[in-house]
Amino acid sequence: MESAARELSTASTAAVMQNPAAAEDGSGFDVSVTSAMAKEALARFQSRKYGECLELLYQLLQKKEDDPKVLHNIAIAEFFRDDCSDPKKLLEALEKVKKKSDQLTRSSLEQTETASISGTKDEFGVSVATLNTAVILFHLHEYGKALSLLEPLYNNIEPLDETVALHICLLILDAALACPDAKISADVLIYLEKAFGFSQSDSGNIALQQSANLVENSSAVSNSTLINDSSNLESSLVASSENPLSRTLSEETLDYETMLSALDIGGQDASRTTQRLPSSNDSSISAMGKSVSSVDFKVKFQLYKVQFLLLTGNLKGAKREVKGTMNAVRGRDSSTALLLKAQLEYARGNFRKAMKLLMALGNRTEAGISSLFFNNLGCVYQQMRKYHSSSVLFARALSSFSSFRKEKPLKLSSFSQDKSLYTIYNCGLQHLASGKPILAAQCIQKAHPIFFNRPIFWFRLAECCIMAWQKGIISMGDTSDRSALKLYVIGKGKWRRIAARNGLRDRYHEPAQENELYPAGDGHLKLSLEFARVCLLNSLHLLNRSGSSSSEDSGLPPEPDIDGLESTGSNIRILTGEDNRSPAVGLGQVTANGDVKEQKLLGTCQEITNYSLSMYEDTLKRKMRALRQAILTNQAYVELELENPMDALSHALSLLQLPNCSKVHTYLGHVYAAEALCLLNRVDEAAAHLSVYLVGGKEVELPYSEEDFEQWQTAKVFDSEDINVGHSTTSNFSLEDAWILQILKPEEARATLYVNLAVKSALEGEYELALELITRALAGLPTSREATLTAVYINLMMGRAQEALSKLKQLTNVRFLPYSFTVHGSTSS
Amino acid sequence: MGMVVSGEEAYKLLKMMKQGDLPIHDVLSDFNSSFPPSHRFSLCTSLFLILQDKLVLTGTERLVALSVIHQSHASQPINANPFLRFLISIAGDDNAEKFERAFILQLLELSDSSSIKEFLKQSATDYIKSFDPSLHVLPQVEELRQKYLNTAHSETFKCFFKDNAVKNVLADPDVPLGCDVNSSEFDLQPGGKAKLGSGERDETVVGMLANLSLEGLGPQWIRPRPPRLPIQDGELVWLIPDNNHELLWDHGMCADTSRGAAVRDLIAKAAKGPLVPAQQEKVMMELANDPKLVYHCGLTPLKLADLVENNPLIAVEVLTKLINSPEIAEYFTVLVTMEMSLHSMEVVNRLTQAVKLPSEFLRLYISNCIASCENIKDKYMQNRLVRLVCVFLQSLIRNNHIDVKEILIEVQAFCINFSRIREAAGLFRLLKTMEG
Repeated sequence: MESAARELSTASTAAVMQNPAAAEDGSGFDVSVTSAMAKEALARFQSRKYGECLELLYQLLQKKEDDPKVLHNIAIAEFFRDDCSDPKKLLEALEKVKKKSDQLTRSSLEQTETASISGTKDEFGVSVATLNTAVILFHLHEYGKALSLLEPLYNNIEPLDETVALHICLLILDAALACPDAKISADVLIYLEKAFGFSQSDSGNIALQQSANLVENSSAVSNSTLINDSSNLESSLVASSENPLSRTLSEETLDYETMLSALDIGGQDASRTTQRLPSSNDSSISAMGKSVSSVDFKVKFQLYKVQFLLLTGNLKGAKREVKGTMNAVRGRDSSTALLLKAQLEYARGNFRKAMKLLMALGNRTEAGISSLFFNNLGCVYQQMRKYHSSSVLFARALSSFSSFRKEKPLKLSSFSQDKSLYTIYNCGLQHLASGKPILAAQCIQKAHPIFFNRPIFWFRLAECCIMAWQKGIISMGDTSDRSALKLYVIGKGKWRRIAARNGLRDRYHEPAQENELYPAGDGHLKLSLEFARVCLLNSLHLLNRSGSSSSEDSGLPPEPDIDGLESTGSNIRILTGEDNRSPAVGLGQVTANGDVKEQKLLGTCQEITNYSLSMYEDTLKRKMRALRQAILTNQAYVELELENPMDALSHALSLLQLPNCSKVHTYLGHVYAAEALCLLNRVDEAAAHLSVYLVGGKEVELPYSEEDFEQWQTAKVFDSEDINVGHSTTSNFSLEDAWILQILKPEEARATLYVNLAVKSALEGEYELALELITRALAGLPTSREATLTAVYINLMMGRAQEALSKLKQLTNVRFLPYSFTVHGSTSS
Repeated sequence: MGMVVSGEEAYKLLKMMKQGDLPIHDVLSDFNSSFPPSHRFSLCTSLFLILQDKLVLTGTERLVALSVIHQSHASQPINANPFLRFLISIAGDDNAEKFERAFILQLLELSDSSSIKEFLKQSATDYIKSFDPSLHVLPQVEELRQKYLNTAHSETFKCFFKDNAVKNVLADPDVPLGCDVNSSEFDLQPGGKAKLGSGERDETVVGMLANLSLEGLGPQWIRPRPPRLPIQDGELVWLIPDNNHELLWDHGMCADTSRGAAVRDLIAKAAKGPLVPAQQEKVMMELANDPKLVYHCGLTPLKLADLVENNPLIAVEVLTKLINSPEIAEYFTVLVTMEMSLHSMEVVNRLTQAVKLPSEFLRLYISNCIASCENIKDKYMQNRLVRLVCVFLQSLIRNNHIDVKEILIEVQAFCINFSRIREAAGLFRLLKTMEG
């Protein structure tokens, strides 16, 4: 190996020697030698001879000590030499390269204060090192981190080498779509469209074909034609320098009569000039054309667009784009296109169609695809509420993923292909939906590395805890069925007594640290209400941090930035031509249900992207609003369960203060606040919360109607044509769903208010009123234990023991248990 | 609270209370040895609860139970006993048996453990037998509270929900209709046969001891459960294959930068004075060959004004290529703020033909042109500049590089102001035709 390298280096030196012209440039011999060696190293790298490549690089390092770029390429080559086994090590090495480079930049800036900043900066540029760091992070699923590294690069992308720039764009797009960050995705898509000149392919095949041709043509612009172009330019420049205007320009005296006419001529020639001047776009395409075949790239770009449209929920746009893409990929490997098409149908609620498309994919045997296939099919079944099938499918996806980890030799993509954490999260949601909180929590918790910064992740964990608590799995008290009241019949005859044991109220809340059911240390979470409290706090914090929390509740669109000429802000394309942030006004009227009336939404890519983005932001706001309400509601509930009425009250009040709070949540806010206030002995204030729904002293109105369940409905807009076709299964909200999601029916909610009003009156000694209220309550909730027990209490307090007893015995959901015991075989007398 | 008295414990407890003939002290020792300390509190709680039902326990049983409660916290001062308030309430209750009240009073008055021990050497039966009400003064409850609780008021923390509860064990006598429940007729006689309505007290006591709960039976507030958040759109992760992203080799390693250096030198020269055509040509060629070179050619916004004045064509070329640069705004700012000149206008005019300039910039530039015209004192120079600006504006308008509406008022005023100049009048006419 060593000798080979020596041979190589001599060979390269010889090559340099044969070409003395190269050595004349720059500061002399040394530069050309290192430059030639660098080329050799690259050649070895490209032919995957990493050992030989490294030998050369080590020699280069001796000549150029601490050169960041040499260090960088060494790190890359070593990574490949070691079969991609240690991405963490590479990350560290790249970090060192960046530090070294920063150091050099600083010292060189000190030396030449007048030197142009942008010029010197690039000499030790770290853009490639940063990009590679982001590449590794991307493969490790650390999309957020990758994105934060790429953003500064992207914001200053123009000076970068075309190939690097293209890689940055594609990577930032993938990272942004994965994060997801629709804003950045939109920005990059628009930029790619502009910089690489793809036209919109909205009307399907023909337009696509044309644009593909266009791309092919433009990418076929070889170096020679480019040079021709530029020489044209040159000659035109030379020509123009010969025309009178320029001559006058170089003269001190203003022969402005000629100049005036020249200006005029120049003006009339404008269009011609524009055509002749090659914009930087042309060269971009050629650079791109060098690395990727143009049709491939075109398809890739379209797939990105589909992903973006799906992310933003612009299903109409996605549908059109998918159509074009499917035509373009005909006869080629199109797993991605097929999966996206299936995703589109899935998103539109056409689950059968989605399944059919996935099945078409099922024939493929590649491991990478089959795991995705199982996962996605699992999603479809989950949405069709076939929980068992979906859990089986997720499990198969997971076992399919596990094969990646065994794959040898490792490739860089082996890391990114293992998306098992996503499937595990899906699994967790599936368990949660089917009422298995412990399993759900275990799965969801495993997805922590990828989702830890999402509010919904913590919210789901809290839901697991709360569900486990409600099911009695994590309380140390009475773990038997708590829904039934137990009446113990004690003794006989005149001594007979009935003991009412109310499991729900009797149970004792064990502090979390004493909960031995799920001891920490074996990787399992200890579910507890205290943990739920922490999770909810995390969730709320992340929700607040995710910004726009202020605009979340205002129906107004965000303030447009003012484009000032003096603005040197970070926004990258403030003064570079068209305003790309113009909102999608006039792009077709939006009807009441959010549908776009104008079928021919054939704007430019930019218009569609902006339209999708604003659509996405609206959806996001709606989602955030719903999540905020859910968090506060659960917080109030958890604090009540933890017997912490002060905090419960403050959460309930915050909930009630939310603008646009749903009627269901408003109702819960009032009921929780009232209970907390009662616990704090502030009965009058409690009464105020309950009497919101009171009409005329004794009548309670329905606190909400079934239409108010819309928030729990997944609102989808369907093309009318599809409904006619009959494939679409609109997700109508059924009462079954309400039951699964624990939403009280409006009548039950009202009866609950009656019960609580009766309780309040009874405790205040107004037994007559209480009796009337509880009678109304029992009409709405005849089987409610609380209502019945309250009725029993009221009767007892009114001295009506017989009525009390008969009420107690009328309870339907009750278990009469004979009370008996034995003492070591002997009986008790 | 959560600790539950088992039936077996309740049975043992009842058996102890029935030992009314034994010295109370012996019964207490039996209690302490039979139950671990951790259980004693819940047992006392059960006793406390059953004592509130005056009919269930016999007199001797009650005395034993009260002793157990009193002695449950014997190692601590009496006011640490959580049941003290309860004991006082019985001692001051006019409806309670006198011997019971006196018994509690005596216990409370004895402060040292040895005298208590002495007192409890008698049996409960003996105490009741030898009890002489005339020997005892039974004070009122307020007086006792004052004495033992340092407060005359019965005010304690009252919880709205909890303190109003009734006992959770209800009497449900199973006797024929119309019969007197309290008749001893229904007590099961030893050896007797069970008949309708008869029952056994012990069974009930044990059951009550085990089932009475401190919380009792109160009105039940309903705390609705929060609805679950349905799975959100897109929350289930749909997977598609990743695009592959490979690591990049840094081609800048040991790259030959000499050509860039040459251009940098030329640009630096160009800012100082006009370049000769050959030099100019070289700059243009290098810039065209490497589209990114423009970013490294050393032109900063600071130098732009000089470059515009000395080599406007190079300035146009450089700005055209920098049009997508994040710093282009700074260059435009220089163009707007530098002194108006033929060269600057020439540069802007050529720029409008090559690239699309932001309309804000053009508007500002035009305003500056107009302002410059108005500010020039020298009439001759003013005429020249006005004519120049007019032609410049005509060119912009004719080629649709600017929206006429945006500048209409300002430019019309300018034309009227300089209507004596032929070009201004021409521009005015052009504006009029555009309006129509």
